[in-house]
Amino acid sequence: MEVLSHLKILIAITGSKQSETILTFAAQIASHVGEPPTVLAVIDGWEDRLSTQASEILGKAQNILAVPKVITKVRTGHPTQEIIREAREGNHDLLIVGGMSDNQLACILLGSTEARVAEGAHCPVIIVKGITRSVRRILLCDSGARRSSVLSRFTAQLAGLLGGEEEVTVLHVMSQISAGPGVSGTQLRATINELIEKHTPEGEVLGRDIQALEELGIHSTPKVRHGLVLEEILSESRNGNYDLIVIGSHLSEKWQDFFLDDLAKRILVQSDRPVLVVK
Amino acid sequence: MENPLELDLKLSESSSGQSSADNIEVTLAIPETTITTEVRPHWWDHIRLGKIGLFSASLYLFILAITLMKSGARGITLLIRNLGIISNGANSLGFGWLFAYLIMSGSPVAAAALTFFDASVFDKLGAFTMITGSRLGASFIVLFIGFIYVLRGRDRATSLSMGTLSLTVTATTYLPGLLLGVLILNTGLLKGIQLNSGALLISVIESIVEPIAGVAAGLFPNWVVFLIGLITILVSFNLFDKCLPQMSLKESRIGWLSRLVYRPVVMFTLGAMVTMISMSVSISLSLLVPLSQRGFVRRENVIPYIMGANITTFIDTLLAAVLLNNPDAFTVVLVEMVSITVVTLIILTAFYRPYLRLSLKFTSWVTKSNRNLAVFIITIFITPVILMLI
Repeated sequence: MEVLSHLKILIAITGSKQSETILTFAAQIASHVGEPPTVLAVIDGWEDRLSTQASEILGKAQNILAVPKVITKVRTGHPTQEIIREAREGNHDLLIVGGMSDNQLACILLGSTEARVAEGAHCPVIIVKGITRSVRRILLCDSGARRSSVLSRFTAQLAGLLGGEEEVTVLHVMSQISAGPGVSGTQLRATINELIEKHTPEGEVLGRDIQALEELGIHSTPKVRHGLVLEEILSESRNGNYDLIVIGSHLSEKWQDFFLDDLAKRILVQSDRPVLVVK
Repeated sequence: MENPLELDLKLSESSSGQSSADNIEVTLAIPETTITTEVRPHWWDHIRLGKIGLFSASLYLFILAITLMKSGARGITLLIRNLGIISNGANSLGFGWLFAYLIMSGSPVAAAALTFFDASVFDKLGAFTMITGSRLGASFIVLFIGFIYVLRGRDRATSLSMGTLSLTVTATTYLPGLLLGVLILNTGLLKGIQLNSGALLISVIESIVEPIAGVAAGLFPNWVVFLIGLITILVSFNLFDKCLPQMSLKESRIGWLSRLVYRPVVMFTLGAMVTMISMSVSISLSLLVPLSQRGFVRRENVIPYIMGANITTFIDTLLAAVLLNNPDAFTVVLVEMVSITVVTLIILTAFYRPYLRLSLKFTSWVTKSNRNLAVFIITIFITPVILMLI
């Protein structure tokens, strides 16, 4: 893996039990980055107990990250706002945060901190969740939308982090059914090879993605699943035992924010493993 | 391609050596043959007189049909009572359901239910359950068309998915809605909300349809008048369908929109609005084909769309109730709409994801094998027959 001298990483911890897990996960990225990572502790209040916890974890950060230099910062206030503010003010290129909420229903209804951070941050965000391992198997979910290809955003922003040993699966979920009885639906049941051979829109997107990754020296496999988008992504991530899911952020501009379902947020909340949201 | 407009600018210096705007010679060479003048069409150019004529004719026939059915139904009350085929709410549910199968449409059956109620063939509950039955039967149409495609060799899953899904969504919302509706009817909760047609409108309607309806009533027995009314309403809906814009896949430039996954409430509203205009669930479902890219629609989008369509499809029945000038008939239709809306909103807000998964799982089970499909078809035919026999 090449050393990315320019990449500025912000690792945000909020004093939760997960802080060490976040740092352990971040270590595998931080060790390949030239810039010293910034570790931010956000304290929601002035309690001594919280600030002691934050100081303790910041003290351990350098050891866990195993890098020569670490910049530590403490902010007080609302975690979501402070993390987003720090990422923006520090002009960071990648933000790593933990899955801070446990109650899935409350997260869906009220919005989780990590989902709000992923939505509000200007840069790509990794939400560290569940049991973290070294990233070997990556699930890249491409919606097939030409204008917002997840892969093109991913390669433009972070492809340098991949060393070439990783196995990347590019997944497209076909949740379509025939809108009417008279519509021919052979493409709706087609395998990935058939989709690529027949140059269907889905096949074109996946073929292009695979080619782009091959050019970067990354081994990748295209995959198509049929069913509901959210369910199929979560199912594939579990069944395929992936170490990281890569998704695009919700298109929160103009009419789209109002009309489109926020699938990125649902994946973030319901996933049991780390998720990278590219912008 | 050469530029059709040649602009030759010559900047000549003045005696003082300064160039100014006054000294610019502009030669504009415009080849006559290349100029095309685009005339903006006036707003009245978009008006299609033929469509307006069709719409007026369909509206007139609808009013005439309601009058004929109302007049005919009064005379067949005794006949239905003597036959004893409808003596309780379950019977009328089954009757409406089978009737809609027979004529492959729900709206005329719902209108017939109101005229039966107006003629005291059955009570409010009977009218309510017959209208519910009519919608259950109407949702069979898309499945039936799909079934014809299967017989002609098309793929089973592709041809039947939309029809099965439509029927599943309708059954799972209308049956709980039926219970809630009966409860609301018994409490008389919505009785106070009325939309009267008004004396002037009634007299205008009478003056335009009464001559024809009177002749028919004088010439034929009541059951024939009712039958003529039923055929007239079918013709009226058929004409109305022809007023709707026809689109083809090539013409639709918004196909890419169908690739996106929308919020359920957005698709619910869209389904409700499209059906309010088209007045038919099967029409609004068939509109999805040209509107979607390659005729495909997202699973996530289609269920809330059907749910919305299932509510506003009552608009024509509501109009029929107004034309009958029967406040209780209006209440029956209003209760139907309110109860289905309440059930739908509960599903959308509280159980949407599990509901989505279960509906799709059931649809895929039905279309998985011929045996499953046969079980499903037999069930939806036997159920209304059993209801008729209770």
